[in-house]
Amino acid sequence: MDPFSTEGELVNIHSAFHQGQYQDVIDFDASAFSPENQLPARVLQLRSKIVLGQPEEVLAEIEGEDTPDLVAVKTLAQHAAGDTASALHVAQELAEKYSENATVQVLCGTVLHAEGQSEEALALLMKHQGNLEALALIVQIHLQQNRTDLATKEVTAAKRWAQDSLLVNLAESWVGMRIGGEKYQSAFYVYEELASNPATSSPVTMAGQAVAELHLGRLPEAEAALSAALQKYPDNAELIANTIVLNVLTAKDTTELTSHLQKNHPSHLLLTDLEEKSAFFDTIAAKYAPKVS
Amino acid sequence: MQSSPNMLTKACILITLVFESKSSRAKGIAFHPKRPWILVSLHSSTIQLWDYRMGTLIDRFEEHDGPVRGINFHSTQPLFVSGGDDYKIKVWSYQTRRCLFTLNGHLDYVRTVFFHHELPWILSSSDDQTIRIWNWQNRSLICTMTGHNHYVMCAQFHPKEDLIVSASLDQSVRVWDISGLRKKHSAPTSFTFEDQMTRANPSQADMFGNTDAVVKFVLEGHDRGVNWVSFHPTLPLIVSAGDDRLVKLWRMSDTKAWEVDTCRGHFQNASACLFHPHQDLILSVGEDKTIRVWDLNKRTSVQSFKRDQDRFWVIAAHPEINLFAAGHDSGVMVFKLERERPASAIYQNQLFYITKEKHVKSYDFTKDSESPPILSLRKLGAAWVPPRTLSYNPAERAILVTSPTDSGIYELINLPRDATGAVEPTNMKRGQGTSAIFVARNRFAVFNQSSETVEIKDLSNSTTKTLKPPTGTTDIYFGGTGCLLFITPTSVVLFDIQVKKQLKELSVNGVKYVVWSNDGHYAALLSKHNVTIVTKSLEQVSTLHETIRIKSATWDDAGVLLYSTLNHVKYSLLNGDNGIVRTLDQTVYLVRVKGRNVYCLDRSAKPKVLEIDPTEYRFKLALVKRNYDEMLQIIKNSSLVGQSIIAYLQKKGYSEIALQFVQDPQTRFELAIECGNLDVATDMAKELDRPKLWSRLGVEALAHGNHQTVEMTYQKQRLFDKLSFLYLSTGDQEKLSRMAKIAEHRGDFTSRFQNAIYRGDVEDRIQMFKEVDLYPLAYLTAKTNGLAEEAEAILKTCGLTEDQLKLPQVGETLQTPRPIVPTFKSNWPVKAAGHSSFEKALMGEVSIGDEAAGENGYDHEGDETGTAARESLEDEEEGAAGWDMGDEINVEDDNGFVTVDSAEAGAASSEADLWARNSPLAADHVAAGSFDSAMQLLNRQVGAVNFSPLKERFLDIYKASKTYLPATSGLPPLVNYVRRTTEETDSRKLLPIIPRDLETLVSVDLQEGYAAMRSNKLEDGVKIFKRILHTLLVNTVSSEAEVEQAKKIIATAREYILAMSIELHRRSLPTDNPESLKRSLELSAYFTIPKLEVAHRQLALMAAMKYSFANKNFSSALSFANRMLANGGSPKLLDQASYNLSLLSAKKTKVQCERSPQDKIDTEFDLFAEFEICAASLTPIYGGSPSVSDPYTGAKYHEEYKGSVCRISDITEIGAPASGLRLFVSSVN
Repeated sequence: MDPFSTEGELVNIHSAFHQGQYQDVIDFDASAFSPENQLPARVLQLRSKIVLGQPEEVLAEIEGEDTPDLVAVKTLAQHAAGDTASALHVAQELAEKYSENATVQVLCGTVLHAEGQSEEALALLMKHQGNLEALALIVQIHLQQNRTDLATKEVTAAKRWAQDSLLVNLAESWVGMRIGGEKYQSAFYVYEELASNPATSSPVTMAGQAVAELHLGRLPEAEAALSAALQKYPDNAELIANTIVLNVLTAKDTTELTSHLQKNHPSHLLLTDLEEKSAFFDTIAAKYAPKVS
Repeated sequence: MQSSPNMLTKACILITLVFESKSSRAKGIAFHPKRPWILVSLHSSTIQLWDYRMGTLIDRFEEHDGPVRGINFHSTQPLFVSGGDDYKIKVWSYQTRRCLFTLNGHLDYVRTVFFHHELPWILSSSDDQTIRIWNWQNRSLICTMTGHNHYVMCAQFHPKEDLIVSASLDQSVRVWDISGLRKKHSAPTSFTFEDQMTRANPSQADMFGNTDAVVKFVLEGHDRGVNWVSFHPTLPLIVSAGDDRLVKLWRMSDTKAWEVDTCRGHFQNASACLFHPHQDLILSVGEDKTIRVWDLNKRTSVQSFKRDQDRFWVIAAHPEINLFAAGHDSGVMVFKLERERPASAIYQNQLFYITKEKHVKSYDFTKDSESPPILSLRKLGAAWVPPRTLSYNPAERAILVTSPTDSGIYELINLPRDATGAVEPTNMKRGQGTSAIFVARNRFAVFNQSSETVEIKDLSNSTTKTLKPPTGTTDIYFGGTGCLLFITPTSVVLFDIQVKKQLKELSVNGVKYVVWSNDGHYAALLSKHNVTIVTKSLEQVSTLHETIRIKSATWDDAGVLLYSTLNHVKYSLLNGDNGIVRTLDQTVYLVRVKGRNVYCLDRSAKPKVLEIDPTEYRFKLALVKRNYDEMLQIIKNSSLVGQSIIAYLQKKGYSEIALQFVQDPQTRFELAIECGNLDVATDMAKELDRPKLWSRLGVEALAHGNHQTVEMTYQKQRLFDKLSFLYLSTGDQEKLSRMAKIAEHRGDFTSRFQNAIYRGDVEDRIQMFKEVDLYPLAYLTAKTNGLAEEAEAILKTCGLTEDQLKLPQVGETLQTPRPIVPTFKSNWPVKAAGHSSFEKALMGEVSIGDEAAGENGYDHEGDETGTAARESLEDEEEGAAGWDMGDEINVEDDNGFVTVDSAEAGAASSEADLWARNSPLAADHVAAGSFDSAMQLLNRQVGAVNFSPLKERFLDIYKASKTYLPATSGLPPLVNYVRRTTEETDSRKLLPIIPRDLETLVSVDLQEGYAAMRSNKLEDGVKIFKRILHTLLVNTVSSEAEVEQAKKIIATAREYILAMSIELHRRSLPTDNPESLKRSLELSAYFTIPKLEVAHRQLALMAAMKYSFANKNFSSALSFANRMLANGGSPKLLDQASYNLSLLSAKKTKVQCERSPQDKIDTEFDLFAEFEICAASLTPIYGGSPSVSDPYTGAKYHEEYKGSVCRISDITEIGAPASGLRLFVSSVN
């Protein structure tokens, strides 16, 4: 039986991970799981640690392990720790050797994609056998490549066999946020349901809800959602970034938030993108000058 | 509310007029218990039978002599009874429309007659002071009740018990016990002594004082005669009305009866009264021309309605439904007392509604189950006024209920999580409002008709926005996301709540209800007799008219509107095609259609399920959508035949489909001809075999090039000439010669000659000429064709020689044309379009490729004519196209199941790239990150050259266009693109959101600028106005009107920046030397030139005046003072006091200056010259002198500044060639 299915014993830890409740994942009592589920649970916990910014600890913890799953975790940790070159190298190796391993698919797929090897990542992920995480990753890669059509197909196909799965719902919402129109509202409902329930609420779901509100043009609601979320998670990058966007839209000052983001997440997409555009602006603007100055 | 007289009162109970008749004085009224009929007996001796629903007079019964006062329907039999001033009681059959018999016995006017509810009895009251009971089966008098000592005005049976109540002008009301009478007449099993005694002495008191009917109570209390009396349907109560103008309420127990209370109010004789059948109300009518409604429990007047002219004589209640009728001097009015339409709302599979007990209940369509009461709204509004509307909010599980009480109130109530019974609501919010509806998850709109406002409120019931609906608005409805529909008596207006703007107005009269389709794309606007279907943007799609009142509507999932009238459920397709689905025996309010079930609420607010046959409208819908598979399915699975559907198909141009339904050969033939199906037409023609049909078939077949059929029709019609010509043109030589033979047989020489010519058969011609003795012609023919021998022979026969003849010039041998193609072998090829895909499906021809033109002759003959080649080519294409369709389906299926191979993968352009593609506006390019093209656009449009001030704006727009959605952990967030219109999903129309729209600029930035001016913070002011200019430069607006507004704002900003710069420059000048003082004075004068808001101009004038005055330039100061006073105007931006003060000082200055109107220092400021101010040098540019202007702001400069950056905008190049700023594209492609 699929340990992640609704009856499986990993369902809770798995859901918690994907709802972004990483601390809860780490706090799970992994020893209670049956032996064959010990490893997946541990992988989830290790991944949570990486997300929470403790890749070094993870590296130390799995030093010397050679199970492919843990090696995959290692690549992810290396990548997160900034050692991208060797991470990529190992990931490529793993992808060749253990392409059937679900953990390897997902983690190495992540690393490959993060390193711009999206096609390779996709090739690896496509080998999955009903691995929802891989599916979600495929969807995300498609979306990042602006192939909403392909992403939609993946989700529709997945809905046939995993209708109620959290990941499929989330993936569908991601796609919905790209398609827009009525899909915004359904995405909103998914996130709202998760965010409004204290058991499933997390920065990830709250950000999702706020972003959906924002896309729906409901700025006051988005503002309420974001400020509530920021109070709880003042340092979450996505929350800050989206608040910046919102504040620009509502014509409010963003300097403080920007410097906050700069301080905590200097490499956030918003900042790097903006920096690039700022330089771009200067280059282009320099081409124009008045005839008489 | 409505101006029509059918809404007779404003608040509380609505008396809604259903029907009104015009006649002479109505004295008696009776409702039919089942049918929508009412009997009216008139003072003029006529009895009228009306259908009050249709408003038609069904019948008249005129056998009474003199006024008819009493009238009553039998509850089950097709009978009614009447009693008149001719002392007669007549029993009628409305089926045979005859008087069945007459009961004679009364010795004076008969006042009232009533049937007993179960026994075959009639009760009559008369001026002869008696009350009598008659058996209408054996037509005999069975009881006479005496006791009243004046006219008995009214006598009625108790609805259940063996009691009678009577009212008399002797001022008493009497209650009679008739149980004895019943006992006597209910077929006794054994005769007791007592029984025998009573039988022996009919209608007399026996020795113990028992009679059939005994007076039980005598109720005395009226001071004058009593005109009417009635029992309560369930309670032991009696109500009476008398000439003392009072309505009295009595109560009785087994042993006694007493007066409870009196309803005072009528100021003339009260004619009649009754209890409301279901509610605690009393209704009475009187000669004071009023109908009055009283609260049974409080005996207070609830409502009254007055007629202008007519005294009321009688009132009657419908035994079951909420209908009343009152008779007056000039007819009858039938009315409803309360709104019957139950308030309800639907969300997904749940219906929420309010019952008559004012309980909120829900009904689950999937389970077909009714919930227990969820909530009690007993306290909402007045006790007898049902709530008007219900709006449900699924997100909050809250309801909004409105009630017309006190000119409209609403309550916002959260529903309890689970239905535990009719609990009183807690934590509710309420307010005044005619209508209240949810418009968003956490917003609702409240319309207040008296103040003509719509307030948008949040869930804590505080107003977030106030809108002004168009004048005369009567109601509001949800208008789709973020929008409202305002209903006025003549139009419907779609209004955007966000931008507070009217989006569209559609003129439709008298809309009462709006019903949205399930997908929210369409809405049906219901008025009394019309249904108008509109799109969500209020474009009219279709409209239809009903002669009978339209009550409700709901949408099928497929987009078919089902609506109910008083007696039908009907459907309407989007294109306006409509028809009847089923009949109704009572009015219902449709709420939902699901498959064959129509869910509705009846008048008593009970959910009901009606079964319907949706075949017809589904079929028509399939037809409209060209969904042939479904049509086929319907045809196969149901018995869909009938003239109507055929006529419909024919009318809509689907003759070929109609053909499938028809059996009648004549119709089939017509249809076949119409759609060009020759095979069927031929078959039918054979069956009918009429020359006319053959001829029509021939014409049609000829047009098709189907000469084989043509040939057959000609044969059938014996049109030999035509046949010959046909054979000639198709090149059928063989048949042509056969035609010649036939002609020979027939002895028809003309025909023979013709055939001979067609065939080019000279011998035959000559032979024929010889046979008819036309030797000259024969000779000539022979000669012409070079048949010398034959010619000789002819000459011989005639006994002539050649030189005896004088021949005309002989022409050449006639060559008959030879057809190149053996056309006759097969018909002219026709593109195989005769078979519609529908027919194919019907005939089971699944594979489309089969019918590549095998039968069209040309192909296998290998003929090389161009036509043939082309034809077969086309056929091939046809076939190929057919296959293509099949392929496509397969491909799609594949994609659905199989994961896509990587060949198809690879990155595509993002939505941001689309923006730049979709829009020619700079702002959209900026949002897309395409700064280079944006700058190019700006450079071209307004000559922008110095972009650095715009950097912040560029980055802001860029920043605001994207959100970051966290997805898979370990990867960067998913970027999503924020759209300008949230509903848009067409990739060719997607556009980004642009922060700081025009509205914000006007309502925030511009006000800030004004504030800076007012508070003399000019440096800030310049910055603010420049920011406005910069923001507007890279922006978009949503209409031409807004473009104009934007232009105005640009001009305003320019003027303010100019003015502020002048003043700032003046302040920076030293005043110690005369040169700069002069300049300073000039500048202060220029400060008054820019077109500022009046109040701000006053400030400038004030400053200039004071400055001039201080420097003893009295003349200038005087002119400033004059201008100030002239401006006077309204103190819009300054508070009254300081404004007056400034005017006051202007006046003072004026007085002082007028004493010596001279300037001490000469300035260049010329009060009377026309000039503008150069924004760079801050010196005047007089009219006619050369100048250049800035392409963006329009600021004027001296010519020497051409090519430099505009001082106002800081961005654009002065005098640069420019096409003009674009902020709006009317239709983005």
